[in-house]
Amino acid sequence: MNCRECVEHLYEFLDRELTPQLEREIREHLEDCPPCEEQYDFEELFLKFLKARCKTQGAPPELKKRVLRELFGE
Amino acid sequence: MALPPPPPPPNPPLDDKRASFEREALVHLDVLYRVALRLTANPTDADDLVQETMLKAYRAWDQYEQGTNAKAWLLTILRHAFINEYRRKTRHPETVDIDAIEPYAVFPEVQDEDPQGAFFDRIVDDEVLRAIDQLPEVFRETLVLSDVEGMSYQEIAGILEVPIGTVKSRLFRARQLLQTKLYDYAVEMGYIKGSPA
Repeated sequence: MNCRECVEHLYEFLDRELTPQLEREIREHLEDCPPCEEQYDFEELFLKFLKARCKTQGAPPELKKRVLRELFGE
Repeated sequence: MALPPPPPPPNPPLDDKRASFEREALVHLDVLYRVALRLTANPTDADDLVQETMLKAYRAWDQYEQGTNAKAWLLTILRHAFINEYRRKTRHPETVDIDAIEPYAVFPEVQDEDPQGAFFDRIVDDEVLRAIDQLPEVFRETLVLSDVEGMSYQEIAGILEVPIGTVKSRLFRARQLLQTKLYDYAVEMGYIKGSPA
């Protein structure tokens, strides 16, 4: 595993979408390669940031009432 | 001797249907709303889209295999409803050639100044949502399903009806493009020195 291959698979690694074999190879590479590890940390932080910023929004209470009214006549 | 009272009748099927729908489908209202809002970019249309999705889902509830993936099933209905009825009026058909978009990796740009990505923390929710809304639709829907709603590549491929390889490449480019937009914004706001692309 070289740096280019590692970076190419970084998102799949973060998403836990790799085969166990490839996942192990990335993990080993990251342990031995500080620059790739730094990029891994950066991408991981970005994905956490994204989720935190977008997940706060939920359906307005009025919409839930409207759906229940429409479905069940309440 | 008086006969014992008859056992209560079993719940009528309608109540069963309602109970299972509430248990398995209505709990996903927030997810549907968030996705609808990103697709339509308009709260009123998002409300209507969610309402319509729920009505369609309730009518088709017998076709849903209970205990499987209700969230993915509902999102598939929502996306079809969006494509068939809302896209025309909510957004102009996209003429963007997504293959021509070549986002660059932000990490090398910030590696020296801010490798920890601390500048992200200074960007508020609304700005992030605005940046997502500016992504081409195929990138936006993939990114929202993955990064906001935490769905797997397989689930996203099912909802969007594309191969897993397409999900991977769209997600990769969507994330890079969004990072680029947020980075440019951060430079513009002075959160990081850098140099906008």
